[in-house]
Amino acid sequence: MEFLRSFIETASVFVLPLLIVGFPLYGMLKRVPVYEEFVEGAKDGFRVAVTIIPYLVAILFAIGMFRASGAMEFVVEGMRPLLSLIGIPPEVLPMMVIRPLTGSGSAAIVLDMIQQFGEDSILVKMAATMFGSTETTFYVIAVYFGAVNVRKTRHAVPAGLLADVVAMIAAVYVVRLLFG
Amino acid sequence: MLNYIWGGLIISSLVFALVYDTRDLVRDTYRNGADVTLELAVEGDAAQRRQPARVRISPDSYRALYGVDAAPTGAYEGMLVRTADGMQLRFAADASVPEPWATIRDMTSPRDNDLRGTVLALDSHTDSTATAVIQFADVKFVKMTAIAQAAIDMAETAVSLALGLIGVIALWMGLLKIAEAAGLIHTVVRVTQPILGPLFPEIPKGHPALGMIVLNLTANMLGLGNAATPLGIKAMEELQKLNPNPDTATNSMVMLLAMNTASVQLVPPVILVALMGLQINQLIFAIIIVTFISLVVAITAAKLLSRMKRYRTQPDGEV
Repeated sequence: MEFLRSFIETASVFVLPLLIVGFPLYGMLKRVPVYEEFVEGAKDGFRVAVTIIPYLVAILFAIGMFRASGAMEFVVEGMRPLLSLIGIPPEVLPMMVIRPLTGSGSAAIVLDMIQQFGEDSILVKMAATMFGSTETTFYVIAVYFGAVNVRKTRHAVPAGLLADVVAMIAAVYVVRLLFG
Repeated sequence: MLNYIWGGLIISSLVFALVYDTRDLVRDTYRNGADVTLELAVEGDAAQRRQPARVRISPDSYRALYGVDAAPTGAYEGMLVRTADGMQLRFAADASVPEPWATIRDMTSPRDNDLRGTVLALDSHTDSTATAVIQFADVKFVKMTAIAQAAIDMAETAVSLALGLIGVIALWMGLLKIAEAAGLIHTVVRVTQPILGPLFPEIPKGHPALGMIVLNLTANMLGLGNAATPLGIKAMEELQKLNPNPDTATNSMVMLLAMNTASVQLVPPVILVALMGLQINQLIFAIIIVTFISLVVAITAAKLLSRMKRYRTQPDGEV
């Protein structure tokens, strides 16, 4: 296991440089005009970044207002009895609510919990596992759909959120199983 | 769904801000107009316009005045400032004061971030100490101001986030163009078709979209967030080419999104490593297990929900 872990870690360091060098190298071997193709592709970068701006503004400002209004504390309080029923400690609740909404916000929560409970605390392990195993769902939706101007997202939000909820609950049980 | 969530976020933030602000008004959380008695240790010449002063308030009187548990400990650096409208006491900028002083500071001096009050009475003693009675400016509608400010701030954040992506997106789009022209993407597609093909039945055999999806998911697994986003965008562009209704998501797009939000993480994200340090090593297996579970849920949910009546795009459920 230890070997596998260090292998994955080392590999992840090499992947980026290998891809960045590998694509052009392979292209040259195949006699592709690499510089011209690169510039042709890169031209799209600006267009894509500008295309996602309205979607990002829409999602982020709504989330920012929601956080600033103090609604988060209310949601956390409201969900407390329900979650204690299925054995989820209330301390990790803010993480569960904020994780799909903002990445920086949930990183701040992990930091805050480390200071509050200490690095070795099982609560911090749960929160960190939640952080590591889920994504900022709304940001991903805004960026990916925004890039192709898709406005009707159909079942993307429910599917993404369902996976998030299951991951959060699973994180609590898995951490308890491994470290509890 | 996104319409309701989005509208709900905005409307509920207004409702909650109203509730909290009304509560603050009823409770008089900030004790608007109350006299605050402070102990000062002044230095320097009283004839000067600015006179440094160390400010102290007895914890008991702070608790009694504001009805809170936390109280200032120790003294704060401050400054007595004589202006045309009288004397002001300014705390040092960014002093770590407890609530509600912190909110009073944020609301009344957002630019300089120094808590300041008008000095109503200054009773100097012989040993260069003094007792001051000050009053802070009135604080009202804290949350209401905060949501408006948050909306404006986040709108700016969104733009800087998007513009910050330009370079990385351009880099990867360029590299991918080379890979496409060299036929590398087709090789990736051929190799991974048997595994990923069934999850994306709408993608024709050998179409480059699958190759982009593979690269995106791989980057995600390896914790390469910077590369994963542009690769995902490229995958979405390829999928969009197959989309008959350009403003509506296809099943494949939702599948890609779901797999992204729940993707298996062999290497944890960089931020988490920075936060947790070596502790992260213990958590890697927990994260792999959890992400695997959520990946299964995401794939199942994306498949099943696509068949639900309200999410269908055409009568037969196919896109």
